[in-house]
Amino acid sequence: MATSRLISPALRYTPLAVLALLESWVVWDLLAVPDRRWIAALSLPFVVNVAFLVLSRASHRRWARWIGLMALGTTYVVMHAFVLGIQLVPALLFVSVLIGQVELRILAERFAPLFLVTLTATQQRQIGGALLRALIRLTIASILAIVIPLLAADLATAGVVPVTTIPTALVLSAGLVAVVLIIALLPSLEPKAE
Amino acid sequence: MRTPLSSGLAAASMGFLLLGLALRNWQVVLLALPPVIVLALGSLAPPPRPRIVAVRSLSRERTDTGREVDVELLIRNEGGSLDLVEIADILPRELAVIRGTNHAVVSLEKAGTLRLAYTVRSQVKGDFVLGPVRVRSFDPLALGAHDVALDLRSPLVVAPAMEDLRRAQLQPRRTRPWFGQVPSRRIGPGTEFWGLREYVAGDEVRRINWKASARLERLFTNEYEGERSGDVVIVVDARRESFVGTEADNPVEHAVRAALGIADRVLAAKNRAGLIVQRQVIDWVPLAFGRKQLYRILDHLVHVKPGGEWRFSHVALVLSRFFPRDCLIVLLTPLQDRDALTAVIGLAARGYDVAIVSPSALEIERRLRADTEEDRMAYQILAMERANRVAQLRRVAQVVDWDPATPLALALRRMTAWPRPA
Repeated sequence: MATSRLISPALRYTPLAVLALLESWVVWDLLAVPDRRWIAALSLPFVVNVAFLVLSRASHRRWARWIGLMALGTTYVVMHAFVLGIQLVPALLFVSVLIGQVELRILAERFAPLFLVTLTATQQRQIGGALLRALIRLTIASILAIVIPLLAADLATAGVVPVTTIPTALVLSAGLVAVVLIIALLPSLEPKAE
Repeated sequence: MRTPLSSGLAAASMGFLLLGLALRNWQVVLLALPPVIVLALGSLAPPPRPRIVAVRSLSRERTDTGREVDVELLIRNEGGSLDLVEIADILPRELAVIRGTNHAVVSLEKAGTLRLAYTVRSQVKGDFVLGPVRVRSFDPLALGAHDVALDLRSPLVVAPAMEDLRRAQLQPRRTRPWFGQVPSRRIGPGTEFWGLREYVAGDEVRRINWKASARLERLFTNEYEGERSGDVVIVVDARRESFVGTEADNPVEHAVRAALGIADRVLAAKNRAGLIVQRQVIDWVPLAFGRKQLYRILDHLVHVKPGGEWRFSHVALVLSRFFPRDCLIVLLTPLQDRDALTAVIGLAARGYDVAIVSPSALEIERRLRADTEEDRMAYQILAMERANRVAQLRRVAQVVDWDPATPLALALRRMTAWPRPA
């Protein structure tokens, strides 16, 4: 019983800790920007990010949280794309951790209240098992989200795939559009099949 | 079902790709891959479609306002194991959960069961339906969800609370030939002494007045005032104009409560009672005696909701077609407009006995407003207008100005005779 009581606060505070890590990461990179005008320009989305995340925390507004996270991602990507240059491994890690933070918060929102009520041993086992499966899936997704792009980059730099040609860009775009379309249409196709 | 997160990941991926192509930067293009990989993993293990069987039981299917009803919902998972499933027993908004919960997020194994027990209470009358049961199976990573609605519905009839009007003097002035409890001002079977007459063959011995017979040396028989029954038609004004206040505290709700109490009292005194309700439609219950008639009236009153734009004069049409002219009409109206006033004067002119019980919308509104100087001034002006309207009505009908915060019996007791003597 005591273990389940400990899981709830652990679940609640992990997304906050991960978010604090991401914020510190962006601040650290921001301090490394040499040009003051760029620092001033990049501070704007960063301040928006902090303001909206605080607002979402205070008022429990979902849209505020989304805007805050988007501003955080924008600060990082713009800073690296235009000023610092993109180092592939840290950038992939940042994007994966950002996605992981969102997933962890959702897991916390769904599972943390379940551990607050008095659970029977069976219920505790069921819910613990479901949480463990979700965490394993999240870990696998995060690892693959870093490893596969790195593999692609290796192939590209090794000259196996010609990355700088227009046909490659078109093929990549078409592939991504197809994936997005499949994801968008899949829910509406399923009920028709039933 | 697609979730906002999956849409967000797709959008982020597209954004990275377009930015990378625009900047001709392959590293940015590669950043489009992590969201797509997470999405792909999510679609590989979508949430299972829930196959749930549910049974709901209620401690009672008919109840009164303010009384508690225990509900038990038994859920059984007939499909595969569900990692995370949200179950909600959908309730009408009038029903408040006062104990337990009608909502749960749980993990259900194959053939696993869940019991949701809760207690509901309604402060307003109505014909409610509990259900359906909504089940949502989640992907724990929030990339998809499956919604299922179980068409499990349980009716719950909440009757208005009954006003205790046992001491109220509610009786029609004009009587019908049937035996009842209303003094008819005619000789007949009854308990009140009326007069004496000379004995005729066939008179009951117990009715012989022995004192008068001894004094006058002839046999005399007592005569009694016949007690008969009359007809009472209750008219409920549930037009849109009559709705002032909250869902539980408005003149229509109070009028319905009063109508039920009056019907009970009238029927208990062996009179016939009928009902006309003016709402979105004008519906009525023809005059009849007895307990069954009370249930008929109750069934109609349960469905009363404020609404409709019928003119109040339509009630007079229904009255003239379907009800006798010598009945007593008890009109339950907040007297919000002059339409009711005109209608009552018209009814009185046609020879109907009219009594009005008016739940004061003004008092209801006063309780809901802040007590500022402007509010007090507005209240005084409106109270004067209402008093003026009531005074006009008192020329043709008996009027009870009722503050619904007080018991109706108290308001009726202040009256001397009801309705106004002829």
